[in-house]
Amino acid sequence: MPEIKWEKEMDAALARAMAEKKPILLDFFNAH
Amino acid sequence: MGAVTYPDAKVAELVNNRMIPIQLMANVEPYAKDFNIKWTPSIITLDENGTEHNRVVGFLPPEEFIPAMMLGIAKVSFDLDRFDEALAELEKIIAEYPKSKATPEAIYLRGVTGFKSTKDPKPLKAAYEKLHAEYPDSEWTPRALPYRLIS
Repeated sequence: MPEIKWEKEMDAALARAMAEKKPILLDFFNAH
Repeated sequence: MGAVTYPDAKVAELVNNRMIPIQLMANVEPYAKDFNIKWTPSIITLDENGTEHNRVVGFLPPEEFIPAMMLGIAKVSFDLDRFDEALAELEKIIAEYPKSKATPEAIYLRGVTGFKSTKDPKPLKAAYEKLHAEYPDSEWTPRALPYRLIS
């Protein structure tokens, strides 16, 4: 089963987005 | 989202291949304040500089989440004047997800993108005609109403 490989830090996501030339999916969630 | 949509294989494939996914708790600052988060899930599409281009609030099942994210990708391209990329993404949404709630907006945006990239108004009229014929109840159909007058 494939899983989404979530980043946890914004700086890491932005660095990857810049390097890989991809948009960011930012999901704000509420822990239950 | 975590129980139904994110475990879906097609969702994971799209997100992992086409986007950089990041999850943050809704109370993590400064981001919660920066993005004015009032409810979850709030799913935002950003460009590589961190600028917002699309936002979805509330649950979406996989069959709606995929075209909604594709529309977010298209909006990033459109807003950054990457019209060829935007058109390619919009064509895929329209062809592959004709029943999606995202598709009428994709048709509208395809018309706008076609006009902005060529200065030819025919794509605007084509957008109105498709919306009027196939999506008469969509909120995007009246938005395109003025384009019916294009000759």
